Amino acid sequence: MNFPFIKKLSIKAITILILSELAAVVTGPPGNADTPWIGFHDSITQKTSFFGLFVTGRWALFYALGILSYLIVYFFNHNDFKNSASDSLRSSYRSVAGKKYFRLIAMFAIGVVVVLLPTIITDPFWREAMVSQIAVFILLALGLNVVVGFAGLLDLGFVAFYAVGAYATAWCTGALPVPPLFGSHVNPFFAIPVAIILAMVAGVILGIPTLRLRGDYLAIVTLGFGEIITLFANNLTGVTGGAQGTKQVPHFSFHVGPLKYIWGLDPAPYYYLVIGFVFLFIFIFYSLEHSRVGRAWTAIREDEVAAESLGINPLKYKVMAFAIGAASAGFAGVMTAAQSNFLTPATFTLSLSINILVLVIFGGMGSIFGVVFGAIVIQTITMYLIHTPPAGYQPQDLYIYLGALLVIMMIFRPAGLFPARRRQRLDVSTSSFENSND
Amino acid sequence: MTNLFEVSNITLRFGGVVSLSDVSLYQKRGEILAVIGPNGAGKTSLFNSLTGVYKPQEGSITFNPKEGEPISIIGKKPHVISHTGVARTFQASRMFNALTTFENVKIGAESHKGLGAIGSILRGPATRKDEKYSDARTWDLLDFVGLRAKANYIASSLSYGERRRLEIARGLATNPEVLLLDEPAAGTNPSEKLELTDLIRKVRDEMEVSILLIEHDMKLVMSLAERLYVLNFGSVIAEGTPDEIRANQNVVDAYLGTTSVEGSH
Repeated sequence: MNFPFIKKLSIKAITILILSELAAVVTGPPGNADTPWIGFHDSITQKTSFFGLFVTGRWALFYALGILSYLIVYFFNHNDFKNSASDSLRSSYRSVAGKKYFRLIAMFAIGVVVVLLPTIITDPFWREAMVSQIAVFILLALGLNVVVGFAGLLDLGFVAFYAVGAYATAWCTGALPVPPLFGSHVNPFFAIPVAIILAMVAGVILGIPTLRLRGDYLAIVTLGFGEIITLFANNLTGVTGGAQGTKQVPHFSFHVGPLKYIWGLDPAPYYYLVIGFVFLFIFIFYSLEHSRVGRAWTAIREDEVAAESLGINPLKYKVMAFAIGAASAGFAGVMTAAQSNFLTPATFTLSLSINILVLVIFGGMGSIFGVVFGAIVIQTITMYLIHTPPAGYQPQDLYIYLGALLVIMMIFRPAGLFPARRRQRLDVSTSSFENSND
Repeated sequence: MTNLFEVSNITLRFGGVVSLSDVSLYQKRGEILAVIGPNGAGKTSLFNSLTGVYKPQEGSITFNPKEGEPISIIGKKPHVISHTGVARTFQASRMFNALTTFENVKIGAESHKGLGAIGSILRGPATRKDEKYSDARTWDLLDFVGLRAKANYIASSLSYGERRRLEIARGLATNPEVLLLDEPAAGTNPSEKLELTDLIRKVRDEMEVSILLIEHDMKLVMSLAERLYVLNFGSVIAEGTPDEIRANQNVVDAYLGTTSVEGSH
């Protein structure tokens, strides 16, 4: 406890105060020429509740949130991640055996919670959100994680594959103006393979011409692709139903011999179905990450020229990352179509692509546990704000918060809350060596 | 017996800049061949042409593998050339910094198989056998270059000399017939240089891999190479054994400047 430490701390406290006041003002009422200070005034006088715990001025709410996020970041930044990567790696290898018991117990506990969740949560809003806004977004985040996290390709149009999956379901079940794929209306179960394959094909079609590009150029092209798909859905009225949306997509049903079951309006059966697939995709992506394929992706991400000199075909592996990532988005599309019974192009916007990217960046690019965690946390906060909006909160404010969160993450923890092991690097720069010879 | 590499009359231009002009050279099988020359002479451009990174506008490069037909290098992609048996290292070590030493080498050992998506998910017996083989090969190579103790270190934590050895192991993992080393001794200290010289000779003698070397360090080149080419301004100005090169007036001029400059003073 010395003077510089206190000085440093008070500078941080004042910074957070200024930022929180700013947040309180921009979320307050708009001012006009007569009352330019109304936002500032209200931010101090207006009372709001802090997650229902206590009533306080709005600025204080933001200040508390700011301090809380700072403490979280501080805590995460001062655990073993901060040690030199090789040290922490060696110790983690050593301690894996000791942690095995703990890990098994933790996994068992998570499994029990996941299975019992629909019986614990009774609020209809949350039961619905649990499936359509959290579980489906876990699938989307897992898929984008393959592209962005494993292969290091920035895809800003990921929502396109989600749309392809959803519209493929509508097609198979006869909800589009065009005749259904199999000639008659089928149950969405049969749409799953079609949707996944179509999404993967879309990934390949987008990938082959564009994956020769790198970095920023690729981001722009994928952004354009996302917009093209949305425009198709909007304007190709004869095929997609246009802006009016599709006809009714039936629920899942199951009818084999004496067994008969129809997924109805209750979200719980849908929840189990989606969670089953979430675990399947986690298994697939985990296997890929720890295989030849995952290593090749990392190699390409780290140094494409070196990877190529070792015999890795970068284009093939990148296209593969696109197709595999698209598969889980395609499946998420089936779920959305079947559960909501109805699709409109308004669902598949650029902001949704950004939203999914935020989940991945927040949780930790390349870390499967991280992105699942990120999807659960961010989507829960989003849903909370919709369900019980604080005073003065407007729905469109959401992106202010998500944007601020992204900025804070980029400054304090650029690799995400749970950085992937393969994303942790030593801070020792190699640049001092690189040109030593010139 | 055919030569390993047969480079005839290649010319490489970038717009108006001629990087290599009418370069012809050959490498015998099992030879340690060195290419030397002042900065900007076109040595790395030659390497990049041999490995498919650059595409010379004129001339031909033929690679004769031990088995099979001669292969024309020009116009082939780097990963295809790697599959034919040409491995390389880079001037500024280019490792996969987020991966461990072990994984770096393993990538080289397994990159010559197919894409392997389905196999990687299902992990059938064939995939597990492949894994086992790559693991064993990786350990062998780490032993060979003396990096076994550092197997689980992140590559970016290695010292400069260790990185060089890692790059050599990674190149050897692809099972090449020739290893192209781009300034392997750059930035290493004298004792590391000695180790490296021994290692390179060991690669040739024990692994039976031919070596093509670019190097600035004359002591290392002269003790290691069996034959040399000297490049200057994109052209070959001399060829011969280390003793012949030392005595060659053109080479002395290229490195030290011509006597006419001295005379004008």
